[in-house]
Amino acid sequence: MTLRLDTIRECLEGVIPGHIATCDAEGIPNLAYLSQVQFIDNEHVALSYQFFNRTRQNILARSPVRLMLTSHLTGAQYRLTLAYLRTETAGPLFEQMKAKLAGIASHTGMSEVFRLLGSDVYRILAIEQVPGPTVAPPPPVVNYLTALRRATGRLASCGNLERLLETALDCLGAEFGIDHVMLLMHDEGRGRLYTLASRGYPQSGIGSEIPVGAGIIGICARERIPIRIGFMTSEYGYGRTIRDGVEADGQGDSLESAIPLPGLPEAGSQLAVPITAFDHLLGVLYLENVADLHFGYDDEDALVAFAAQLGLAMHHHQEAEELVEDVPGVEGSPPAPAGPPLLVRHFAANDSVFIDDDYLIKGVAGAILWTLLTDFVERRRTGFTNKGLRVDPRIRLPGVSDNLEARLVLLQRRLEERAAGIHLKKTGRGRFSLTVDRPLQLVSG
Amino acid sequence: MLDSDNAAFILTGVSISLASCNPDRLPSMSRGLGCKLIDDGRQVSIFLRRSQSEALLENIRSSGGRVANVFSLPSSNRTLQLKGSNARIVPFAAEDIPVIDGHIADFVLEVVPLGMSEAVVRAILAYQPDDLVSVVYSPCAAFSQTPGPKAGVPLG
Repeated sequence: MTLRLDTIRECLEGVIPGHIATCDAEGIPNLAYLSQVQFIDNEHVALSYQFFNRTRQNILARSPVRLMLTSHLTGAQYRLTLAYLRTETAGPLFEQMKAKLAGIASHTGMSEVFRLLGSDVYRILAIEQVPGPTVAPPPPVVNYLTALRRATGRLASCGNLERLLETALDCLGAEFGIDHVMLLMHDEGRGRLYTLASRGYPQSGIGSEIPVGAGIIGICARERIPIRIGFMTSEYGYGRTIRDGVEADGQGDSLESAIPLPGLPEAGSQLAVPITAFDHLLGVLYLENVADLHFGYDDEDALVAFAAQLGLAMHHHQEAEELVEDVPGVEGSPPAPAGPPLLVRHFAANDSVFIDDDYLIKGVAGAILWTLLTDFVERRRTGFTNKGLRVDPRIRLPGVSDNLEARLVLLQRRLEERAAGIHLKKTGRGRFSLTVDRPLQLVSG
Repeated sequence: MLDSDNAAFILTGVSISLASCNPDRLPSMSRGLGCKLIDDGRQVSIFLRRSQSEALLENIRSSGGRVANVFSLPSSNRTLQLKGSNARIVPFAAEDIPVIDGHIADFVLEVVPLGMSEAVVRAILAYQPDDLVSVVYSPCAAFSQTPGPKAGVPLG
């Protein structure tokens, strides 16, 4: 095969719909339009199976298959010869195509009509370019190789997890030209993702949560595969609708609902990319844009490669924080803060913490904060270690892969964002200190 | 077979594609540059570029003229498939050039408002007059292929 499919993937986006030609057992041809063609690799594509129509009948009767695809960028036309292999009705490929189809259906007013019944997987036997004039494609907005090279270098120079996360989001903006992004961490024990950083929104949404499996971000996490949608669709929205659904399922009590998720109200394009390391899901990068079809296959590839670098670096920093010896720092008595006391209230049922009656955080991060503040008030303790927190019976960490360092970053950011008058500051690998601006008054329940 | 509504429809700014299969059932297809009705609407003539349709034309010859022909209007998704079993290849008549030019103009008006680049559309439909050929057939079956529950329903 001289033409590689990965060099003409813009034809698969459906801007100019593809055609599929098949033939029945009697030699009668059939032509139909395609909703979507999904790139798998240079030898395989998948087509959406939505209706049991003549095309479907012919394929099941072992018809050879021809596709005609057209580039909306150059006008080049291609004929592909395919052989049907199998139909997938669940799993990563199916979910990718189902999400994409939901966007296409919504865009074409077919939301009630298009439903993915299966992903038909084909082997590509040949690709031929149809003779004819073409126009030069517009230059790409970003050179992704340069962006990746620069971003990889910047990630490698980060000394700790917090710096890494900041740099990652800086890179997405400066190197990749992405204006709206969220980074969510995986809370494996609770089947949740929590927002740890974001860019491009009026409210950061740090601490907000999404259940694994819900919406584009949750499905990306569950299937550990990038999900890309080119048109606005309510079916794969997130935020209010998804949370309403979760609350209806009776899980609402454990889902962080007081902190709103950030997000564009009307995103035309959405892309969720899993962050993994050593077959372990660490989190999800979520990017969006108001324009339709803003993210293509190349964007997806570049961000998957970026997320792979980020995942390895996150894994490294989380491990490094755990390896440090628990060296107790010299704890001199800090100067007693002055002013009216800060009322900190803790509810043990869900470890929620309120400061002067304003909600701050709950769950593991809430339990950590309450433990730190209790030690501070009772023992004037200001120096803490990750290792110490890990063995502290008052904090019920969910065991392995608890993302303790990420939870500390979450807590630190939430405190700073709320201007709570309580500060966590890293003092070395696996070590941090607590300072307060005002005297504390701790109240349980 | 082709009612007046569908006959009028295929003469608008639709996308046109024609397919036929070889003896091993392998199809080939090409984009049409417009069409016209002849014999009081009993036959359809599709204009093709020979250079883009070598396999298709060979398949039409070898299959005894079995063709599938799709017409779709991008702005509405309205789609019609016609089938024929007596297609024949005839020389292109120069007096049909205005039909092609009219069709290209209509198609540009149809898809540019949807966000397509006019230069790209014109490249896709560019032709040399001496490269043109006509395929004429009598529709023997018609199907609505507009997406939805009625897709694939035979018409007439």
